[in-house]
Formats: sequence, structure tokens, C-alpha cells
Amino acid sequence: MRPSPSLSLLIAASAALTGTNAVRADETASEQYVGYRFNIYGEDALSAPSLGDPRRYEVYSQQFLLNSPVGDRNTLSVNATHEVMSGSSPWYVIPGPDNRPIQVLSGATIRDHRSAATVALTHDAGGNDTRTFSASYSQERDYHSTALGAERTLPLSSALTLGFGGSFSHDRIEPFAAVLYDRIQRAEKNTASAFASLSLVLDRVSVAESGVQIDYQSGYLSDPYKLVFVDGTLDPDTRPHRRGEIAWLVRYRRAVNDSAALHLDTRLAANSWGQHSLTLEASWYQNLRDGWQLVPGVRYYSQSRARFYAPFFAAGSGPDFSSDYRLGAFGAAAVNLNLRKRIGHWELSAGAERYHASTGYTIGGASAADPAVVSYTRVFAGLDYHFD
Amino acid sequence: MRSNAKSRRSSPSQPLRTKRALRWLLALIALVCLGGCAMQAVQPWQRGRLARWDMRWDPDPLQAAMNQHAYFSKEGTSGEIGAAGGGCGCN
Repeated sequence: MRPSPSLSLLIAASAALTGTNAVRADETASEQYVGYRFNIYGEDALSAPSLGDPRRYEVYSQQFLLNSPVGDRNTLSVNATHEVMSGSSPWYVIPGPDNRPIQVLSGATIRDHRSAATVALTHDAGGNDTRTFSASYSQERDYHSTALGAERTLPLSSALTLGFGGSFSHDRIEPFAAVLYDRIQRAEKNTASAFASLSLVLDRVSVAESGVQIDYQSGYLSDPYKLVFVDGTLDPDTRPHRRGEIAWLVRYRRAVNDSAALHLDTRLAANSWGQHSLTLEASWYQNLRDGWQLVPGVRYYSQSRARFYAPFFAAGSGPDFSSDYRLGAFGAAAVNLNLRKRIGHWELSAGAERYHASTGYTIGGASAADPAVVSYTRVFAGLDYHFD
Repeated sequence: MRSNAKSRRSSPSQPLRTKRALRWLLALIALVCLGGCAMQAVQPWQRGRLARWDMRWDPDPLQAAMNQHAYFSKEGTSGEIGAAGGGCGCN
């Protein structure tokens, strides 16, 4: 079969990419600094019909990062996060008049904390050849996650750098009020990931990177807090016990002049549940006078629905079914703005993001309207101290 | 609603439209890669702009991590390339 013109172009580009003597832009700078961020995240009220507690989700997050050289060739990075979450969540969907979906929100307001930490050690073997080992732990009252990772960057020529690695995580969930609501009392899941990328110096002012990531999850992948309306009865959210996903990422950075840089990112992903997605991102880093920097950005995301997703189900459906909007078809558009100011060793930052999701933004259209797609606003502020 | 129904009747099926959109995106990325490959070797002393802070893949790792956390908790298939961190019960 003759390849299509677009496929031919892709094959040609791949050949050109791997056949060129190419290097990765310096990313693992061994600078010494500490950083702090405070984020406030608030979801909009649902625009579609809903029942239950109308208070939507709010999250207050604090992040801390320490990056410090250890000896001549090692860099230690410690990242800690603490979050406080509260508000009602989508619970299940019922059919309303004319079979229009009505979202039922959790009646009781959920309040929870999450604490997470990641420690990473990077060894620089010289000439941009680095090896990074990381360990992470995250804890909520009902959720525990542990992850280990390793990755390496290996220069293939003066302009081309190969990156590759893998990680494994083990998660455990013990839902609240499991007996009262007839939820599963304890469950586990594992995630294994492998990834590889090529970074290429295109010219004096631009670099690009293309990478592939494969994830495989097994275990309990359902949401124990969600129910599904099946022909008049409420059943637990039930998803397959395995999921494979592959993603392709392309990133491009261009120094437009001495005071600005353009960032373009795109990502295509597909998984074994029948979902595929597209992400497009663009940011502009504008350096201004007196240490000021302005960074506006835009993002677009679109995903298709999982094969076992619907707002509600007829008799005989299954064995897998879910009404979680994150498995439905929708799109989202986001704009963000970040302002930074450098004062000696200190750097102040503040910004905001507006994220608006809708089934109408989906590429190719959405077959079923979901009343629970989430739009939110996020504001953040931070402070960094650079030791050098 | 009426105009939507009309456009659905006269346009290709949704999977076909999605495939076409993805093909065009792949072609666009290919063109960008091809354009970048018509290049000359860049010497170390010519990489001053490439070494700038704002030319990194993620200039602000804390902000990037929080962005990804927000997207990951609201979207079905979003993520980054790299080693997994501690997961959460949010997705």
C-alpha cells in the first residue's frame, strides 16, 4: 500500500532526524537554588444540571524545591509538596427529562491532605552524559504511592543527545467508609513506564526534542468513589484491570533574539481503553528591563472517549462501565500568564491560569454530552533563591 | 442543534475526521523537523543563546510539576515524558 503524503513526510523527517549529527540543550544545570510556590486552585460551578452539594473542589498547594551540587559531579534535587483539598466531587450521572444527563455530586464535602516528596540524584559522567536516579512517595489518608525511576542522557554527537529511562510505581488505596457505602476495602495497582527521546540542536538559536513513552498499568484501575447508573440501579465504577498507553512528544525551543524565547510543545497519546488525545502548547518568554520577565502561554487539549464510557447505561451493559467524565470525550483550552522579577539572588514570581473545558472543543465532536467537565482558575506565587 | 445535525450528515464520520486531523498534525511536525535538519554544525562558542535559562525544556520545574499535576487530575491521557513521581488518588 502506498503511504499517504503526510505519512511520507513523517518518514522522511524521522530519517533526517536520526541521520543528522546533532546535542541536547543544557538541561541538567548543577546550579544551587531553593524554590517555594503557593498555588490556589478553584473549580467553576457546573454549568450543566446537577444535584447535591454545589461547593466545587478547591486545592491549596505548597511546593518546595532544593537543588544542590554534591561533590564535583553530582546534583541532589529534593521536591516536596503539600496540598489541602476540599469540596464536592462528581459521584454518578442519572438520566433526566429527554434522557439529558444530570450530574449528582457527592453529598458530603470531602476534605483531605496530600503530602508528596521526590528525591533525585544526578551523576554527570562528563560531556553531557548524565544518569539520574529518583525515588518518590505520596500519601493521602486513603492513598499511598511509591515510585522509583532511572534515566540517562547520552550524547551521540555534537548535536544529538539520546535520553532514555524507566520507572515503576506501586499504589495502594483504602477508601473511606468502605463498609458503609459497600466500596472495595483495599486495592493496589502497579505502573511500569519506559521512555526514550532524541534532542537535536537545529542551529544557533533553536533546539528540538522528540520522544516516546510507554506506560503499562495493572491492578485496580477503577474509582471506588464513583457509581454508575445502569438501568435504574447504581453499580460501582468498573474498569478493565489493565491499561497500556503510548505517547509521542515533540518540543521545540527558539531564541527569537537576545530577549525572548518561543516554546512549542505537542503530544499525541493513545491507550488500550480506546482513548486518544492531542495536546498543543505555546509559550513566549519575554525578558524585560530591570530583571522583569513576562511569560504568556496557551494550551489546547482534546481527548476521545473510552469504549466503556457513557453518562448512564442500559440493561445488559458491561462488564466494564464508567461515567467518569475523564473517560469521556472533551476538549479544553487554557491561557496562562506568569510574571517574574529578579532582585540579586532572589527571584519573585506570580501568575494565573484559566482552564475551560467543554465537549464542544473535542476534535471530531463528542457523541455524548457530559455534565461534569471541569473548568478552573489557578493562581500562584513563588520565591526562589539562587546561591550563585 | 439543527445545524449540528446537518453538518454531521454532510461531513465524514468522526473517526475519519479525527484521523485526518492527526495526519495533518503529523505532516506539520514532519515539516518542522525537516526544516530544522537543513542546518550547519553549531560550534560550542556559538551556543550562548541555547544555554539561556529561558531555552530549557522546563525553565521553572516547580511550576511545570504543578501544571502537570492539574492536567493529570482532570484529563484522561495527559502526561509528560520521564520517570513517574508519586501518584495520587486524583485520577
